[in-house]
Amino acid sequence: MMNRLLGMAFLAMSILYGLAARDYKASFGDPLGPAAFPMIIAIPAALLSLAMVLRPDPDPQWERGAPMLKQGAALAILLGYVALLEPLGFPLSTMLGTALLARLVGTRWSYAAIAGISISLLLFFLFDRVLGLPLPAFPDFMS
Amino acid sequence: MDILAALAAGFAVALTPLNLTLAAIGSFLGTLIGALPGLGPVNGVAILIPLAFALKLEPSSALIMLTCIYYGAMYGGRISSIMLNIPGDEPAIMTTLDGYPMARAGKAAQALGISAMASFIGATLATVGLTLFAPLLAKAAIHFGPSDYFALYVMAFATVGGVVGVNPVKTLFAAFLGLMLATVGLDPGTGTARYTFGSFHLYDGFDPIVAIVGLFAISEVLVYFETLHKSSDGMVKMGRAIPRLREVLQGLTAAFRGSAIGFVCGILPGAGASLGAFVSYTAEKQLSNKDGTFGKGDPRGIAAPEAGNNAAAGGALIPMLTLGVPGSGTTAVMLALLISLNIQPGPLLFTREPDLVWGLIAALYLANLVLLILNIPMVGLFTRLLSLPQWLLMPFVVMVSFIGIYSISHSVFDMFVMVGFGVLGYVLRKFDFPIVPVVLGLLLGADMENNLRRALSISGGDFSILVNSPIALGIYALTLAMLALAFYMARKAKHGPDVSD
Repeated sequence: MMNRLLGMAFLAMSILYGLAARDYKASFGDPLGPAAFPMIIAIPAALLSLAMVLRPDPDPQWERGAPMLKQGAALAILLGYVALLEPLGFPLSTMLGTALLARLVGTRWSYAAIAGISISLLLFFLFDRVLGLPLPAFPDFMS
Repeated sequence: MDILAALAAGFAVALTPLNLTLAAIGSFLGTLIGALPGLGPVNGVAILIPLAFALKLEPSSALIMLTCIYYGAMYGGRISSIMLNIPGDEPAIMTTLDGYPMARAGKAAQALGISAMASFIGATLATVGLTLFAPLLAKAAIHFGPSDYFALYVMAFATVGGVVGVNPVKTLFAAFLGLMLATVGLDPGTGTARYTFGSFHLYDGFDPIVAIVGLFAISEVLVYFETLHKSSDGMVKMGRAIPRLREVLQGLTAAFRGSAIGFVCGILPGAGASLGAFVSYTAEKQLSNKDGTFGKGDPRGIAAPEAGNNAAAGGALIPMLTLGVPGSGTTAVMLALLISLNIQPGPLLFTREPDLVWGLIAALYLANLVLLILNIPMVGLFTRLLSLPQWLLMPFVVMVSFIGIYSISHSVFDMFVMVGFGVLGYVLRKFDFPIVPVVLGLLLGADMENNLRRALSISGGDFSILVNSPIALGIYALTLAMLALAFYMARKAKHGPDVSD
């Protein structure tokens, strides 16, 4: 069933993709224009999605419960890290992100803190100082 | 003789202290990355591309370092296969079949020795093949017109990832998904903004490197948390560190056969190392499995796929350098690197940038020697790394990926895009879609479209130009044959006896 749903989603996407291409017009340039190539690839993509709907593969095994929560938490950490990178500066946000990820892997808070501090400082020193790649060093409110 | 003179000039480039150091560092880092479970060559090269930018290397030096990482990761992939029964990446899967049983039988050192020797043979023979055939193909490819290139791209997509067990419908759709993603941004021909949803961030399209790191490295994080609670069998004991020579030589003939098969698989655009390892192993099993020892720790069952995947890795460089059409996920990543260094691979590369090409080839010979030394006497160092705790390793790899992407564009938006591609990669992997065709589509989409439009400009809009050249027709015929084979194999795998046992 999941395979069928995914196939339907891809089918809808391919059709919308092909239809959207009709609006791309250019008054000059080559005979093909910007619309033709997307329309050409939309057709087989839609047919392949249709094949997925009609003859679906067996469904994948989903992990429920704790693993799923952990995946969600990992995703939240990654997104939160990116959002906080510039406001907090590289060392601080990396320290937080690393520690939380390490904790999520399943170690003690104390080890997670060690991982956070050592990895963030190591990477900051290596990339910002040794390799000369400027990273935001301090939180916004301090600089 | 031309080739020898060119190769000598190449060695002059490769033997400068800087490039030699980079080759050694690359080989070491590559082996390290390959050895870590879940991190294959594609990840390794993608994560370390930013390092090449950060070091502000010349294009030839950057390419030497990254190709050595690539070769190194191919060597290193076997270490976690043998010691932990966890393949570092797809091509290393076949090595677990005989490698892990052998290691459990107390012969881990022997298994590592055999596989290192086989890797060396495979990679070196492939490098010799690259030296001989790449210039020939480059010469022939000068006659390729836009419609021939278009045919070549069609072939790359049709044949990509032709590994048994993957649904060909999904493989093909993955390629089209990549092509769709490639059309996002300003159209190069006319400057029309396509699929940008009004966001100026998307005007440049998706940076392939951002997409690759997301699709492979970030999706791996999500897969990791899913499998975390399942216990692994644990690492086997190493025993004596250095194997006896006689033991290492047991798989020698299998290694030579595997090299030949792997090399051919590697040259096919879009086929790559997984196919090389798979075909080498199955062929060797059919030829030598007289006593039913395969799958229980037969040395030939380690030598053949290891030689096969390393030879395929070398062979895959041929279409990448001469035609600009990569034959595997990792060469696709390297193509992305070349493009971002403003170097357009293709037949003219050999005449325009001989230093780059021949320096690279010479560096590969040297890298193989370095890798042999790293992988036989020093293999204990890498196996010890496998026991590093995951809570240290996993966050480290994630953070290096983030820094890498940030260093390319200093754009937080790109980092969000990377996480987005990570989720996409996870969903695709969950539903058994191969990832490499998506990357190829994204990477080659623009060129494919440009060649199509160029061909039609020449003909004034007449589509028959696409099939008017004998070269293009030949490529289409080959494509059809390979597609038929892929569908046949998929059907056989579904109904017939399980071939992967």
